[in-house]
Amino acid sequence: MLREEELKTFVDGTTRYFEVAAQQPATIGSPYLLEGEPAIHDYTGIINISGKREGVVYFTAPRAMLTVLLMKMQESDFSHDSMRDLVGEVANTISGNARRDFGHDFVISVPSVFAGDKPQIPQQPGARAFVIPIHWRSHSAKLVVSLT
Amino acid sequence: MQLSGIDRNRRLLTAAAGIVLAAVMSLVLIIGFRLATQIRAGVAMLQQASELETYPAVVAEQLTALRQRLDTLEYTGRVHAELAASVSGFDRDFGALEHQRTLDPAAVRAATRLWRSYAPVLAPVLAYHGEPYSDTATSSALSRNGRVFYAHVRRAELFAAGHTAALHRELATVSGALQAQTASAAARLRLLLSVGVLAVLLLGLAAAYLQLARARGEHAARAAEEQTRDILATVREGFFLLDADYRIGAVWSQALTHLFGRSDFAGLSFEELLRDKVSPETLNTAMKFIKLLWGDRAHENLMKSINPLGQLEVSMDSGRGGKETRYLQFDFHRVMGPGGVKHVLCSVGDITSTVLLTRELHEAQENAHAQVDMMLGMLHSDPLQLGAFLDGAAASLKHVNAILKEPARHHGEFSKKLGGLTRELHALKGEASALNLMSIAQRVHHLEDMVAELTSRSELTGNDFLPLVLKLDELLAHLRGVREMTLRLTALKEGPSAAGSADSAAPSAAGAVGTGELGTALHSLARKLAHDHGKDFQLTLNGLAECPSAYLPTLKDCLIQMLRNAAVHGIETDGVRRAGAKAGAGQVRVDFRRLQNGYELLFEDDGAGLLPETLKAAAVHKGILSPEQAASLDDRSALGLIFKPGFSTSEQVTMDAGRGAGMDVVAKAVYGLGGKIGVSTHPGRFTRFKIALPAISETAVA
Amino acid sequence: MSNAPDTVARRPVRLLIVDDSNIVRRRIERSQQFDDLQVVGTAANGFEALELARRTDPDLVTMDLTMPQMDGIECITQLVRLKPAVRILVISALADKATAVEAMERGANGFLDKPFTDRQLNEAIAELMY
Repeated sequence: MLREEELKTFVDGTTRYFEVAAQQPATIGSPYLLEGEPAIHDYTGIINISGKREGVVYFTAPRAMLTVLLMKMQESDFSHDSMRDLVGEVANTISGNARRDFGHDFVISVPSVFAGDKPQIPQQPGARAFVIPIHWRSHSAKLVVSLT
Repeated sequence: MQLSGIDRNRRLLTAAAGIVLAAVMSLVLIIGFRLATQIRAGVAMLQQASELETYPAVVAEQLTALRQRLDTLEYTGRVHAELAASVSGFDRDFGALEHQRTLDPAAVRAATRLWRSYAPVLAPVLAYHGEPYSDTATSSALSRNGRVFYAHVRRAELFAAGHTAALHRELATVSGALQAQTASAAARLRLLLSVGVLAVLLLGLAAAYLQLARARGEHAARAAEEQTRDILATVREGFFLLDADYRIGAVWSQALTHLFGRSDFAGLSFEELLRDKVSPETLNTAMKFIKLLWGDRAHENLMKSINPLGQLEVSMDSGRGGKETRYLQFDFHRVMGPGGVKHVLCSVGDITSTVLLTRELHEAQENAHAQVDMMLGMLHSDPLQLGAFLDGAAASLKHVNAILKEPARHHGEFSKKLGGLTRELHALKGEASALNLMSIAQRVHHLEDMVAELTSRSELTGNDFLPLVLKLDELLAHLRGVREMTLRLTALKEGPSAAGSADSAAPSAAGAVGTGELGTALHSLARKLAHDHGKDFQLTLNGLAECPSAYLPTLKDCLIQMLRNAAVHGIETDGVRRAGAKAGAGQVRVDFRRLQNGYELLFEDDGAGLLPETLKAAAVHKGILSPEQAASLDDRSALGLIFKPGFSTSEQVTMDAGRGAGMDVVAKAVYGLGGKIGVSTHPGRFTRFKIALPAISETAVA
Repeated sequence: MSNAPDTVARRPVRLLIVDDSNIVRRRIERSQQFDDLQVVGTAANGFEALELARRTDPDLVTMDLTMPQMDGIECITQLVRLKPAVRILVISALADKATAVEAMERGANGFLDKPFTDRQLNEAIAELMY
């Protein structure tokens, strides 16, 4: 079962990414348990985790948020590829931090990035998905952590 | 190392001072001896020179005396001999003086020249022999020889008179020079002695100063050493130096003894120190890490984050005879010398309390898991009621999650959730307590406490709700576990596939038991029961899809119960069936029908049926009826006994029937739904249960 | 590491950035605050990095570890062989100790965790180059 400090590692990693990359911390909204279909925004960076814990962590964000984030990072390229790159990097960084916190036996895949509303998110049997809304400026994204 | 270096320098300095002192002293002595010899020779010569000075006057006087004797015709032999002695003495002494190298040659040369000029004049005088007088009877007079001799003497006297003063002056000059020379030698000797004394004094002073400084240095070094020792004995961290062979140096802090439970650190290899404490992989990585410090590529400040011994779990003697787990933090720093890295300083700290603090929560949760097992012992409660409760709880928690899911960004929005959460949780806790489900009640209570704690906060953020949602997840998992266990204990312990259906029958959505899954579960249970009890029967299910979802969970529990009863008590073994002329396999039929004003469930087996007498005997045996009451009971009422609480033959815990799962429970569940239950039987032919349930509108289901 | 006084003219530090993420590459490029540092190239994988290192002769390379085709560890190994004097700063979120130590063993000079602040990046570069 997911422990609080583990969940916090993912959450803090996410908010810290915003703080570090865009000099403006993200806040987290009211967390809840996922029921039914995953809530997906325009771009989703997914990382499969195996080893000590099995499951997925994904960061999904609307195009508008990523655009502003890129702007804050002084990017001028708002292309599709740039958006994909950004969510992938967020997901990768979050999980990398987690791996550092949890040790070597946390095996993390290279992020796969999906655009659109139907990504193939592998369901981990027996793992409930925690949805943590990530609010940044006027935008909202979601961090979903589903680990056994 | 440094202290001994200073020591060595001091010793070298002292030795050098001694050598210098000896050298100076021998120099003074040698020069002094030579000077003294020179002075002695000088003094002797001076004496000679002073004697020499008198010769010219003596020679002149003797010549005059000789001439006067000739004038008065006196005897001249003695005077002549004295003159000859004087001249030869002068020659001898002067010759000796001439050979003195130390004399001023110019002064001696002048005296020599002058004395040599005497020689031609003196020679005829000294060479004279014989009697200078010729005697007559009356008088004596100079003979012819005598007159010549007289003339020579007279000439020599005059020469001497003219040169005596000059010769004396020259000789005085020579002796003056000699005197000056001797005086200067004496002065030099005095100076030398003074210098010698001064040098000895200075060296003595220097030696004394050095000795003093050394004493002071040694004192300071001892004090420093003592302070170092005090620090190493007191500091709470372990400190030691590693050399290029990864061996521990001679100096280390006392804390190591406690940290590693040994004291033989000096010379111990780092690998040896950790071998029993860490995994070979970690040790390997750690050794590579330290090796990086000896290289010149890696920057110490840029590798702190990859230290593999940043938090090391080790097992050590607790000092009370047992083992305990401690967490150590190793830090490594280069110690630079002139030729590069000299040592690696390693510090070891015990960070156990920090680590344990962060793990407290985790352990608390481990304990919670252990409670699941404890809870199993308490599962004496009515399984159907439990099922109903679990359904209600799932619905309630679904609502809780819905409250959480409401978007919120600010304190006000977060705060608004708390009231609804409290109400929902409080009601759930009440139900759980009422059913004596303490493991559930405790969890809900904990959740309620967390919500109450949030209520008192002035500034709420999403972070504050993270523990809540985790706790909610844990509670849901617990409920899932309880449901699973309940099903296993009451009915499905035999079948893994049936247990699988229990999983699928326990989703988070309330009451969402699929009828298809129910059918599968019942069939596999039937197969399992038939196999386990050596019975041969077939299960036929009809119309279960008609069942409204609100009834399904209860119906499922009832059917499982009745199926089990039928398999254990109803259907006979093959032999019995053949003896009774029945068709080979037993039949169990379930028919569910929608009626005009409700629903009907028929459950029928073609087994042994119920014998009123057997039922009465059991009731008497259980103390439900007195033998008299039993005797007066008619058959119909006897059949009704099976719905009485505490009657069920399965009340006893047996492998066959589980526990607390009699028909009384089924009846109670049916009554709970507002339904009715009846039984009819024909001994040796069949047993039939009929359950009537009231109409229900699908949309009214929570 | 040069102790030469500032008045002595020094060739600008030539920086090669290696990371498979475009954003990280630009981030590093933008965040460095040294007047005499010149970004001579950016590469998205090990092969590109080696090719660029041959052409641009960098003094400093920032290196990601997880990259497609040729990963950071292999790239460091070959880079050190190619340019022994080059300084390598690993910038990676994949911070398991054994891999990190291996990267250092292969010749990296320092390790910086992702994500990093501008300050951390600049301090790390200063530590390596000034």
